[in-house]
Amino acid sequence: MRHSTAELSPAGDEETDGRPFPGALPWLLLVGGLVGFAAAFTLTVEKIALLKNPDYVPSCSINPVLSCGSVMKTPQAEVFGFPNPLIGMAAFAVVAAIGAAMLAGAEFRPWFWAGLQAGVTFGVLFVHWLVWQSLYAIGALCPYCMVVWAVTIPLFAYVTTVNLRRTRAGRLLADYHAVALTAWFLLIVTLITIRFWDYWSSLL
Amino acid sequence: MASKSSKARVNNARTKLDAARARDRRQAVRKRNVTIAVSLVGVFAIVIGVFLMVGRGSEPDGTAVAAGESQYVRADSHQLTTAADGKVSLVEFLDFECEACKAAFPLVEKLRTEYEGRVSFVVRYFPLPGHFNAERAARAVEAAAQQDKFEEMYQQMYRTQTQWGEQRTPADDYFRGLAQGLGLDMAAWEKAYDDPATLARVNKDVADGKALGVSGTPSFFLNGQALQIESEEQMKAAIDAALNS
Repeated sequence: MRHSTAELSPAGDEETDGRPFPGALPWLLLVGGLVGFAAAFTLTVEKIALLKNPDYVPSCSINPVLSCGSVMKTPQAEVFGFPNPLIGMAAFAVVAAIGAAMLAGAEFRPWFWAGLQAGVTFGVLFVHWLVWQSLYAIGALCPYCMVVWAVTIPLFAYVTTVNLRRTRAGRLLADYHAVALTAWFLLIVTLITIRFWDYWSSLL
Repeated sequence: MASKSSKARVNNARTKLDAARARDRRQAVRKRNVTIAVSLVGVFAIVIGVFLMVGRGSEPDGTAVAAGESQYVRADSHQLTTAADGKVSLVEFLDFECEACKAAFPLVEKLRTEYEGRVSFVVRYFPLPGHFNAERAARAVEAAAQQDKFEEMYQQMYRTQTQWGEQRTPADDYFRGLAQGLGLDMAAWEKAYDDPATLARVNKDVADGKALGVSGTPSFFLNGQALQIESEEQMKAAIDAALNS
């Protein structure tokens, strides 16, 4: 009897009104936001160094495949007329702040969640366009950019799962979140492996 | 009173049962979630492993030899001159930033005109890791070779070596200038210069060199025999001997 309350409304039960991943989501937002911010910040600093000295070799230009320099000099690196990482610095800071606020007990209205959803959706679409450009137009991978890809995808996946919690698809996603995320990552890793296969196999 | 409390007890038991069922279902789902995710990673790893093994089987470190080629002279190796009968070939593993290679360059230029049509002079890339721009130079030459300007770019590299060699900063701009000077299609050259396939092509030569025991540059092989050259006369004598055998 003592445990009945806990049993009747277990934390994280998506059948009740509660959100899935109540414990993990704030941490994901906080850590993901900070990691994304660090990557965007580094890219911005490297970009400034590159502007000061066109011969500067960024710290992540390791070989022809893993190279920020060749990626940062492309038009795709400033789609909106200014360097992309500026967007990342602002946006990831907000994401981290939201995570911290949730850890401090904040509750948000639906419109706030809709705003977060709009942000992560823009982020994930933008990141996939950049993945596509990086693989098939530029032909190089920039390690810091890949950090941004790697955090944006789970941020989008989990925020979306939480927001869709009242739908069938949302419940399915909440149940099989690891499968969805793993498949997503593996798809991108597979594309990278195939695209640069000649190079990877020449390393062996 | 008694029936009411027993009803409540039944209800209570039912709720407990439902909660237990829900918990079991959640546990099963959680387990399945992890199992499927781990299996996906496993399948991926196996597929990559199989492809690597297959790749190795047909081309173990680039040492498999197709018909009509050898580890010294591949089908895609660059030939400065080609012997009509293909009897004698002189292969040089070289590094564009190496000073000894630059010293050998005029001799090779002289010999290849002298033996034009009788001896194949073959160039293989062997950029040494200690030379900062050697790999870039090899890529620059390979990118030019894709526009049939291998010979010109190869010559330019040695003629200008003192301008760009021995530096610890990327000479990309310098090589770009060389390519421009040869009137190359610069968009195509840039693309090839940055293309991982170009580096892979250079590394294929390096892999052959390593397999043949090359450790320094320049390394010459006359019909598959390593040559230790001290003078022009020695080199000529060795080539003549091969031609007359």
